[in-house]
Amino acid sequence: MTQGLGPELEHTPGRSYDPTQKPPPFGRQLKQYFALDKEYVNLNHGSYGSLPLPLLQESSKLAFEIERNPTIVAKLIGSDVDEVVFVPNASHAANKVLRNFEWRDGDLVIGPSTTYGQAFNVLKYLSDRSEQPKPTLVSIQYNFPLTDAEIIETFRTQLRQYKREHAGTQFTDVPSLSPGFTADVSARKNKIVAVIDGFTANPGALMPWRELVRICHEEGVWALIDAAHSIGQEPNINLREAQPDFWLSSCHKWFFAKRGCAVLYVPERNQHLMKSSIPTSHEYTGTNFAKQHELPSHTHESALALREWLGGEQTIYDYCHTLALEGAQRLAQVLSTKVMDENGELTVYMPNVQLPLPIEKQPGQVYSPELIAEINALFTRQLLLEWNTYTTHYFHNGAWWCRCSAQVYNELSDFEYLGKALVATCENVVEKLFS
Amino acid sequence: MPIPKLSPTPGESYDASQKPPPFGHPLKQYFALDDDYVNLNHGSYGSLPLPLIFAVNKWNYEIERNPDVFHRLTYQSLLDKSRAAVAKLIGAETDEVVLVPNATHALNIVLRNFEWREGDLLIGASTTYGAVGNTIRYLADRSEQPRPAMVNIEYNFPLTHAQIIDLFRAKIREVKHTYANVQFTDVPPLSAGFDKNAVDKKNKIVMVIDSITANPGALMPWQEMCRIAREEGVWTVVDGAHSIGQEYNINLSEAKPDFWLSNCHKWLYAKRGCAVLYAPKRNQYIIKSSIPTSYEYVSPSSPAFKEKGTNFVMQHEWTGTMDETQFITVPDALAFREWLGGEKAIYDYCHQLAMDGGKKLAEVVGTRVLDEDGELTATMSNVQLPLPVEKKRGEVYTTEQLYQINNFLKEKLLKEWKTYAAHYWHNGAWWCRCSAQVFNELSDFEYLGKAFNAVCKEAEETILKKSV
Repeated sequence: MTQGLGPELEHTPGRSYDPTQKPPPFGRQLKQYFALDKEYVNLNHGSYGSLPLPLLQESSKLAFEIERNPTIVAKLIGSDVDEVVFVPNASHAANKVLRNFEWRDGDLVIGPSTTYGQAFNVLKYLSDRSEQPKPTLVSIQYNFPLTDAEIIETFRTQLRQYKREHAGTQFTDVPSLSPGFTADVSARKNKIVAVIDGFTANPGALMPWRELVRICHEEGVWALIDAAHSIGQEPNINLREAQPDFWLSSCHKWFFAKRGCAVLYVPERNQHLMKSSIPTSHEYTGTNFAKQHELPSHTHESALALREWLGGEQTIYDYCHTLALEGAQRLAQVLSTKVMDENGELTVYMPNVQLPLPIEKQPGQVYSPELIAEINALFTRQLLLEWNTYTTHYFHNGAWWCRCSAQVYNELSDFEYLGKALVATCENVVEKLFS
Repeated sequence: MPIPKLSPTPGESYDASQKPPPFGHPLKQYFALDDDYVNLNHGSYGSLPLPLIFAVNKWNYEIERNPDVFHRLTYQSLLDKSRAAVAKLIGAETDEVVLVPNATHALNIVLRNFEWREGDLLIGASTTYGAVGNTIRYLADRSEQPRPAMVNIEYNFPLTHAQIIDLFRAKIREVKHTYANVQFTDVPPLSAGFDKNAVDKKNKIVMVIDSITANPGALMPWQEMCRIAREEGVWTVVDGAHSIGQEYNINLSEAKPDFWLSNCHKWLYAKRGCAVLYAPKRNQYIIKSSIPTSYEYVSPSSPAFKEKGTNFVMQHEWTGTMDETQFITVPDALAFREWLGGEKAIYDYCHQLAMDGGKKLAEVVGTRVLDEDGELTATMSNVQLPLPVEKKRGEVYTTEQLYQINNFLKEKLLKEWKTYAAHYWHNGAWWCRCSAQVFNELSDFEYLGKAFNAVCKEAEETILKKSV
């Protein structure tokens, strides 16, 4: 138990930070600014984030002023302040958008097969209505490893395929930037809404989402970008340029904000669709987007200040990205397997490495859903409780993989340690479940 | 303002082996309120006792030691403990209770899960909380089908329980008469005519019933209203935002509302961001999805549906990353309340103080209490303010002036007098709603009266431009 680490007003070494002094180098020495257990080798920053101590201390103060500052985030993502609101988490943001659409029978909603489980479930829920109106749910199949070019081709091909299959439907309700957009409401029949991952979760891959948005524009498809992992990881997000119809990201993952804080971006041209916040607010009048979402932004200024002090976004990117690539190579060596991202396109801070477990060429050949669940549970317990380390682990396209997170407090040796842990755990899995 | 450390120093939290001080000002030390703030408005946002602040802070640090261990291995059993404790308090089973961020959220979960059809009726009240009323409006505002029609019951206080029940019953009969050609055969499971296997259930009537209204802060005869609704085949969603920790002896197994919700961060001393949603097992099939939809969502078309149904409890265990310290420290709030003397002792003190304090306040400002026979008061008391009364709307105040007066009262009370009670315009008069808490005493009401006398006079002079 971390006794005596109470918040203090003075900057004391190791407890808060002195902005007039240079920060220590990235790696082991930065761990003191995070509240993680000393011995815990955290290679899973991506799941829940890790709140730096200065921010944790600040949030403990009784007199903690909750700042409303969408300006910081808007600037970071290249949008206007009035196009950005804060919501509790990414799932909430996705639900806000998808549940505000007034669906009609015949509408298509497209999710990627690799979409975060919870995001996919809201699509399912909407299409599961026992009566009208319910959109039809279809999915784009992504089987990694894939290159950017392959991802783009997959998306374009399958999208066109679905349009062909539903050729009898008049998809005339297109976004305002698409050809064929009409201001005549009565002329708008059905619509296609695509949920596109900016980053997939498992695998952790940066998607060529800008290109996918462009395809959506051409094809008259509404594009919601689930970029939960983007803010604080993806460099140069420029929404004004990319022009997605909706975009969302978690601030408490890579941006060092306190759990739970996410940002939802809705460009002005689409705000009329977001009729109500969720829950509906006192300020509901039918459309006033920003006013309906007045929520605190939880330490954004402090998070930004800390990141600036550490060296700024570019410095953080350079360190974490390099470590992600090198760490993955080292891990693959230790495991005698391979990295998923062969040409480096898919990786920012989260590399994916194959695990030394049997591969299946046909679904069901080796693994049943029950076995997969058992293996996942075993991994969780052994890694966390016996080895005091973690990375997410998942079954995809016939093989087992792990997704690591490279953060400013990580070093190459962390990946080596993880490798050791994974070798032992996989041997255990094979012994227990395959003998 | 005390800055909390992880370990409280003597007096900052409580020593469970010692007897508590008596109710009243001696208890102020256990709350984080400014020393000079006379808080008679506990009802709006609650007030977090220091023991809870320490408990929450401890968890903040504990969670950050290893977020994966916490979220993947530890959290669920802690949440279950909290749910069990709350369920016990309200006479429900543990698996009928889930925790959500706030009452408005809980209300949205219920109303947005109903699959509405054209012809359905959604009934609120003129005294319904703003955001709840807006949720009802939003559902009725769809630009195309299906949308329920929105209906409102007018409650103009003062009213007795008997009068409220009459108005309630009359409205149900009225809408059934008005919509006589609609087949309201989609009735709740406990109502006559319920058929589990009916394929096409036609239309339904759903009512949102306040157990304790917000403005005025009045205890409603909600159990009787539920009974009447049940007889009439009407679904009841009880908005009990103020109930838990204020209403004594809530027994949901007995009262049998179709859905019930309450904020633990109002009167139960939990950290803000914690509310309870109760859905009895017979109705859980209606709550198809949490909001946001969860990992644990079960599609009716999947094989798991036979076994899990809508998976009500598991769906609400996790709906995305958030701060969970408010959920897992509910037992700490309950333990503190036990130490203070327990639910009955707290209720007795606060209820008596609300009654006495209301009378005293009315004396000081020269007006009257809203609750003439004591039926409407749990631990909140409503007293008329010394400002002009209207018999017809517009006689005295323009809308702009009403708005200005509200702002004026708020600013002056909080900044100059360092005291507060919610104030509101209702049925031609200005009222305040005082909350009696364990740290309040009669003298607080006297002080508030002094403040209101001065501020109301100033308001009349400056905003209504009358010389008083």
